[in-house]
Amino acid sequence: MRTFTSGLVLFLAAGALATAHHGLAEFDQTKAVTLTGTVTAFHFVNPHTVVEFEVKDDQGHVQTWQAEMTTPARLKGWTATSLEPGNVVTVTGYRAKSGAAFLWVTTLRSSNGVELKPPK
Amino acid sequence: MHLSRRSVRPSRLVQATGILLMSVGPLLAQGRTEIGIPVTDPLVLAKCGTCHSADAHGNLQRLSWARATPEGWQAALKRMIREHDVALTPPEARAIVKYLSGRHGLAPEESKPVMYYAERRVHDETGLNATVLDACATCHDAAVALSWRRTLDGWRQFAQTHAGRYRFKPDADAIAYLSQAAPFSSPAWATWSARAHPPDPTGRWLITAHVQGRGRFHGEMDVEASSSGDDFLTRVRLHSVTDGVAVMRRGRSVLYAGTAWRGRSQGTGAASTAPDDLSTDAREAMWLAPDGSSAEGRWFWGQYDELGFDVTMQRASSGPVLLLVDPPSFKAGSNAGRIRLIGDRFPAEVTPADVTVGPGMTVRRILSSTPGEIVAEVDVAADARPGQRNISFRSTTLESAVAIYDRVDYLKVTPESSLATFGSQSYARGVQQFEAIGYQRGPDGRARTADDLELGPVPVTWSMEVFYDVDASAYDRVGTISATGFFTPAAANPGTNHDVWIVATAKAERGQDGKALVGKGYLVVTVPTYTFEGRTFVRELGRWIEEGSGAR
Repeated sequence: MRTFTSGLVLFLAAGALATAHHGLAEFDQTKAVTLTGTVTAFHFVNPHTVVEFEVKDDQGHVQTWQAEMTTPARLKGWTATSLEPGNVVTVTGYRAKSGAAFLWVTTLRSSNGVELKPPK
Repeated sequence: MHLSRRSVRPSRLVQATGILLMSVGPLLAQGRTEIGIPVTDPLVLAKCGTCHSADAHGNLQRLSWARATPEGWQAALKRMIREHDVALTPPEARAIVKYLSGRHGLAPEESKPVMYYAERRVHDETGLNATVLDACATCHDAAVALSWRRTLDGWRQFAQTHAGRYRFKPDADAIAYLSQAAPFSSPAWATWSARAHPPDPTGRWLITAHVQGRGRFHGEMDVEASSSGDDFLTRVRLHSVTDGVAVMRRGRSVLYAGTAWRGRSQGTGAASTAPDDLSTDAREAMWLAPDGSSAEGRWFWGQYDELGFDVTMQRASSGPVLLLVDPPSFKAGSNAGRIRLIGDRFPAEVTPADVTVGPGMTVRRILSSTPGEIVAEVDVAADARPGQRNISFRSTTLESAVAIYDRVDYLKVTPESSLATFGSQSYARGVQQFEAIGYQRGPDGRARTADDLELGPVPVTWSMEVFYDVDASAYDRVGTISATGFFTPAAANPGTNHDVWIVATAKAERGQDGKALVGKGYLVVTVPTYTFEGRTFVRELGRWIEEGSGAR
């Protein structure tokens, strides 16, 4: 279990946001998106854990997505190897309003058995 | 110059009365259950004893049943000045902090786990009780609490006042944990406080250091007692392992409780305006080992102490000492590689037989030697097993001095999580320096586990990706990353936060897919008010206590 502290924690506290240092304003919370793809990287870091995964569309084009989750300390039982390159993940979340390939994760299920319903 | 608030508002009287009433019960309990530390210093008695009443044994209410690091006592003193109108001169404040940190301090074993707070490191809390994480580390380093030692009643009383001040509900589990993890009475303190002679840091020390983005340094420090006898004068000479650049610094330090080295130093030459100039005025926080033979810590500066030296020191001896080896890693199958053994008091005559390099490595010949450095030529067998190797020069050994590897599996960008701040009219920008470190997977075959082999810095190309950005239009608003991995926020404060990936792309190393290895660090670039709002007064007051009225 890890908690990012020192300078940033003051910033986090000042932000006073339940999800960590930013809210969900960047994401379209009116519509959930579900994607399935292959993990290329997992960043188990503060202030947000992030899964990078590749999604192949109907035409075979590959697009890299980033799925943003809560802090490591709130992912009880998770480690830096909970998701590894090659794992197949199905991710549901809210897409970035900007249109960038970013999701805020609401649920995640991985082929290695890891499952997540992150707290908001 | 005195610092105090002369006006006593009614709310302060109510607050003070409440604190007094809450103190009576615990005071009795403290007196019954544990023996306090009598306060004998006339200045502390005069300044603190007006509110903290004394008992027949010379114990001052609350003070005699608490121990803390210098940072803990300094924070308490700031609170007394701010909230309870204690009037002090800077020398008085320094003297009180010194007395309390020594007589009511922490033993080395107790202070080492919380040194990251004194060293102002960005820190991932590990191994802590989950309740304490929630109760304490939601708002600040857990070390802020764990820098203190209190009785069970003392922790209860502290939790009540802290909860009242910051509007949360005291947690009984957290109090129970703290009373066990940070007890007032401990065997470590009993032994340490009863020692016959405090460690004497004077003399010559050998230093190794690391500066993020600049690599490793080596050198020496001379320490002598000041004429007042209250502190120590330091002179430091460092040389970059990478390019030989010399850094000279002078400083002044205090050793609290025989273990807590706190000081300030600056380069002997004029510092440039570059924020990462190695001559910049720096705060020093180091932990001195119980036997006084070694020390480790950080010398730091910056808008939020983000820049500095990571330092380890050992006492110089009359014989040869091996301090570090460069480069930090060799690839299996490399021949005629050049290895530098950097140390102290190497003899004039050195032969290959004097240098032991471990299995799979062979010293071909000695290329040169001076009292401070031996350069040798080494071969590494193609079938050398990956792993750390100890390197020895005669009887002096440096453990895990060099890594043998056969591939670079991944890059780690350090710091993995970091912060930078836009500037304002009041504050300079807060910067961040990054490094890309290569790793080979360990025997478990998995990346990012404890058995992975660290190989040292890898040449990379730096770039950045702003979260949610679709056309790189945010870059101008966020900042720039230099070719050396130095991030500088944009000059204008956009008034919003930006999350950024700092991306390192290896120039030579490629993954199994044939693509260049890539590592990422998570940087939050934020506005200055988040970082500094409410802290301005405290930051400047801390400097005032340390340095006197001239600092304000």
